Amino acid sequence: MSDTLWLAVLACAIGTYLIRLLPLLWMRRRLKRLDGNDSVEAMPQWLSILGPMMIAALFGVSLVPRQPDTTAWLATLLGVIATLIVWYRLRSLGWPIIAGVGTYGSVILLMDMLQG
Amino acid sequence: MTTRTLPLHARSWLIGMREAIPLLGGYIPVAISFGLVSIQAGFTTWEATLISLLIYAGASQFLFIGMAAAGAPLWLLIAMTLLINVRHMVYGPNLAPWLTTSRWWPLLMHGLTDQVFALAHTRMPQLEASQRLGWYTGAALLAWAAWVAGTALGAVAGDWLMAQWPLLGEIMPFALPALFLVLVMPRFTSPRWTLALLLTIAIAMACTLNGLTNLGIPLAAACGALCFYLVKLNQQPGGGSHE
Repeated sequence: MSDTLWLAVLACAIGTYLIRLLPLLWMRRRLKRLDGNDSVEAMPQWLSILGPMMIAALFGVSLVPRQPDTTAWLATLLGVIATLIVWYRLRSLGWPIIAGVGTYGSVILLMDMLQG
Repeated sequence: MTTRTLPLHARSWLIGMREAIPLLGGYIPVAISFGLVSIQAGFTTWEATLISLLIYAGASQFLFIGMAAAGAPLWLLIAMTLLINVRHMVYGPNLAPWLTTSRWWPLLMHGLTDQVFALAHTRMPQLEASQRLGWYTGAALLAWAAWVAGTALGAVAGDWLMAQWPLLGEIMPFALPALFLVLVMPRFTSPRWTLALLLTIAIAMACTLNGLTNLGIPLAAACGALCFYLVKLNQQPGGGSHE
């Protein structure tokens, strides 16, 4: 890799870090200015709404299979149902994911076997 | 040794690491792919690993490698990589109310990826203030280490791994939507939130299906937030909290 390409790597690394860091520093200063009282209320409302929406968007993006064929969609649907059922019962973080991946994987393997 | 016998900060680290394990199901296969693609694009194992260590932002790294291999101008390469990562601007401020006064937090923001944010945004408010730094450090470092190690593994043995376990790379990434689902479910607290969140998910999926994954995340989130405001305007002009 050439020296100039290394410079590009460094620029992207520093830029990405600053994108993650600077808004945090801005918010911390804002919170400090407001004396730390009821810090959640001190956050602009649009920002506090955007947080959960970003998580929902990440869910939507990651839900689409890389090869969106019938098998992958069926596995996705059943994987989501399994995750939801276990989440409703346990309200924990780990087990619903294990159930989801297990179900998703089982459907993929089963369909793979059936299709020879 | 159980976590109960450890000092508080060590226990927090371990809890953070344990809760970040589902991230690995998504990180490692994608990191292996990145390592493999980098080698195919003419980068060495060290170069690919260092890119993962320094930039540490999945989608933009693939773009970086692709554009560099195609001989794109450097300014365009940098601009496009940073443009994809602009969505991360929302993450830090959303965590700020839960952060302690430790001077380590700014440094730790290097590890604030999409997935670490989603996990931290849900878990930090539930943790004691004294546990948050340790928890975040454990979770973020494990995720970072897995991404870097996965890249190196992919660069060294990606071809062999893909040939040996072709289905594993297809199955394990489902850990990510499953994780996001578990993190988003507690947000369905009212019809207003439900409508806005479902709209966000639908738009994000539509964007991805049309090849606009990176644009889809901020676009879908912005549409969801707009929907949240519009529904409020229609229901009760000028009043009420965001329940």
